[in-house]
Amino acid sequence: MKKYLFIYKSEVMSNLQYIFNLLVGFISYLILIFIFLNLWNYMYDDPTQVINGYTKNQMIWYVIITEILWMTVGGRKLCKKISDDVKGGNIAYNINKPYSYIGYALSSHLGSCTIKALMFSILGIITGLVFMGDFPKLTIASCIMVIITAIFATVINTLLIIFIGLISFFIEDANPFYWVYSKFILVLGTIFPIEYFPVVLQPILTYSPIYVVSYGPAKLFVDFSWTSCIHIIIAQVIYIIIAYILCRLLYQKGVKRLNVNGG
Amino acid sequence: MLMAVKNQIKVSFLSIKYALLREMLNKTTFITNIIFMILNNASFIIQWIILYSLQGNVGGYTFDQVLLLWGLAAGTYGVSRFFFQKAFSLSDTINNGKLDAYLVQPKNVLLSVITSEVQVSAIGDILYAYIMLLIYGFTIPRFILFTIFCLGGGIMLTSISIILSSLSFWFQKTDIVADTGNSLMTNFATYPDGIFKGLVKILLFTLIPVGIINYIPVHILSEFSLGLSLIFILVTILLTGLAILVFYKGLKRYSSSNLMTARI
Amino acid sequence: MAVIEVKNISKTFKVKLKEKGLKGSFKSIIKPKYKKVQAVKNVSFNIDKGEMVAFIGPNGAGKSTTIKMITSILYPDKGKISVLGLNPEKDRKKLAYEIGTVFGQKEQLWTHLTPYDNFKFFGAIYDIPEYKIEKKIKELKELFELDEFINTPVRNLSLGQRIRCEIVASLIHEPKILFLDEPTIGLDPVVKENIRTLIKRMNKEYKTTVFLTSHDVSDIEKLCKRVIIINNGSLVLDDTMENLKYHYLNKKIVEAKMKEKVNLDGEDGLTILKDRGYNIKIEVDTTKKSVSDAIKLLNPDNIIDINISNIPLENIISSIYKDGDTK
Repeated sequence: MKKYLFIYKSEVMSNLQYIFNLLVGFISYLILIFIFLNLWNYMYDDPTQVINGYTKNQMIWYVIITEILWMTVGGRKLCKKISDDVKGGNIAYNINKPYSYIGYALSSHLGSCTIKALMFSILGIITGLVFMGDFPKLTIASCIMVIITAIFATVINTLLIIFIGLISFFIEDANPFYWVYSKFILVLGTIFPIEYFPVVLQPILTYSPIYVVSYGPAKLFVDFSWTSCIHIIIAQVIYIIIAYILCRLLYQKGVKRLNVNGG
Repeated sequence: MLMAVKNQIKVSFLSIKYALLREMLNKTTFITNIIFMILNNASFIIQWIILYSLQGNVGGYTFDQVLLLWGLAAGTYGVSRFFFQKAFSLSDTINNGKLDAYLVQPKNVLLSVITSEVQVSAIGDILYAYIMLLIYGFTIPRFILFTIFCLGGGIMLTSISIILSSLSFWFQKTDIVADTGNSLMTNFATYPDGIFKGLVKILLFTLIPVGIINYIPVHILSEFSLGLSLIFILVTILLTGLAILVFYKGLKRYSSSNLMTARI
Repeated sequence: MAVIEVKNISKTFKVKLKEKGLKGSFKSIIKPKYKKVQAVKNVSFNIDKGEMVAFIGPNGAGKSTTIKMITSILYPDKGKISVLGLNPEKDRKKLAYEIGTVFGQKEQLWTHLTPYDNFKFFGAIYDIPEYKIEKKIKELKELFELDEFINTPVRNLSLGQRIRCEIVASLIHEPKILFLDEPTIGLDPVVKENIRTLIKRMNKEYKTTVFLTSHDVSDIEKLCKRVIIINNGSLVLDDTMENLKYHYLNKKIVEAKMKEKVNLDGEDGLTILKDRGYNIKIEVDTTKKSVSDAIKLLNPDNIIDINISNIPLENIISSIYKDGDTK
């Protein structure tokens, strides 16, 4: 465990130098939130109106959180890195090293998104306060739970993208898979909470990754309840275990294939 | 003079053709890129279905008009990224001293650079644009107008990117500024103008001319207006002129400047 | 008649200094610090029609900057340049029709296309009519022996074949001056030799003026009659290859294998380069001591084997560089 912590830490340090780029990158985020602010201002007649269980401000906070979660992960880059590792033979070096590749990829990626996550969270919340002048009712305990679920969400997101990247062991180009996944999360998971979708679709979305990687933390942030918190955490733990096992299996199968074909 | 223009256009089209051939080397990647871009754009229809299930009118647009807006957004984006892709990585070209190769050729430097690459997925965008027009309702006059708007809008998007990227002639690290500016144009282009008010609305028709490139064409296609059409044409010419001016001013600086990043 | 006239040109660059660490990168955004580097200092030379001139110097000497100023990519801070009577600063396009450039490390060809298609593209760039371009391609194809691969995509060609195509592409519009920047970089000796022969043949055929930079001394030795050496931005030598060699020809290298050890310390006109007892290598300054005197000193009876040679051009040039450094 200690070595993964070390990988994590050195990745955090090396990312410190990109703070300027992150700050400019935040402008894109700000514009997106600004557009949603205008959109929901238009859709809601007044601040007390409730649509599908959400007030206007809750909808805007919801997008603020889901966009932070999605943008900090930087999935496209991660997926490319993993498939480059697979195709470029980098993975062959890792086979002989005394750590698991999945553990390495996970800890280094979490390291590379930590600074961005911290910065976007602080700036994102300031943005929300400036735009709306109110903050969801959260106790310290529930705040901590939101942070924990957000970290879990990032871990699951990272593992799922690693899994997609590892598909390149078997297929020339893993990009279409990543594309489908990212569209799924972006279109169905970041703009609207699950309650906005037709009743028939809602159970499906609840079992899908959307529930654990974007809906969960955002929902707790705008409308905290311990029952949903427990549901979300349990679902996240199950997802982490399953995603990790799937990554391991795919990796082992891939490495075997690599050995048979001689890379 | 006319001959020179003819030759210039010939070279630019040849350059685009060759760049396209390069992308077509791998047929599977070529086709999947196009198809995925069409699906990509189509996936956002879900968002609008949900929004229109809440209200029959969003920002003064009917559902059909939103589709038309998306068509124009995709069409202008597609035209700019297909014909002039290099205008969107111009900062990089400037910073890495890659302009040199074009400077020793007896052709227009700006045109030679920006036509030296095509983005394949932009073909998907252009196809998607016409699919949207088909859904909105196809007529010959509309088809002609729509094509003019896509071309004009594409040229304006290119001009904006050239202006922003040319900042690299004077300042360092402005490539992210250009990227942010370009993504800003796309973000605003896919939402009805009616949801914006006050200062922002004024900005959208001036400093961030999404209004001219996307909103005005939607209005003209819904109800023809000569005045608005003239504004569209005028701004296209103005922006193009400004882009050329800024680029060549920068290029002069590039040649005579003493600032050196990575070019001895 | 001079086709290139360069008069007292200078060019200074400002190089941005980056301080280390986060604080440093913030500082460099707000108030950047610059260091001035004078890349070219007061350089002048003329080149006549049909000449093949080698323009050499160590890395960072100002070679590329000078070439870029002559080819209108950069403008000098001071001084004047005239190429074929044109001012590169003002007549960029006009000049472009008259010159050809090959930058060994930068490719100008489309790699997915065949050389033939590439040549057609360059033909269009230089507004050459269709019938003329076909004729020109045919002619150059023969001169540069491209027949085997003129219809093979450039990416499938060997480096040597590629360079040949690069050169042909830059000759399509019949330039009066050809700039070759490191044309043989990364090639093996046989291919290098082949490229040199072709360049020579081209120069003879078309009387094209050739301005060549290279790190490879044999490129220079075999192709050029005149050498211009630049170091630290200043011109250190502009002379014929013959003079250059002659100037240093009064020094000979004598290598001998001896039966007995000899002591030559303190002899006037001799420099001991290597002394491993029975194997000795000395430099003889023939203005002070003749070669035969030097051999006498070694005692001819004791010599098992002897080799007398000129100083290699490579050493001559590097000693010129060194002289420039100490000045």
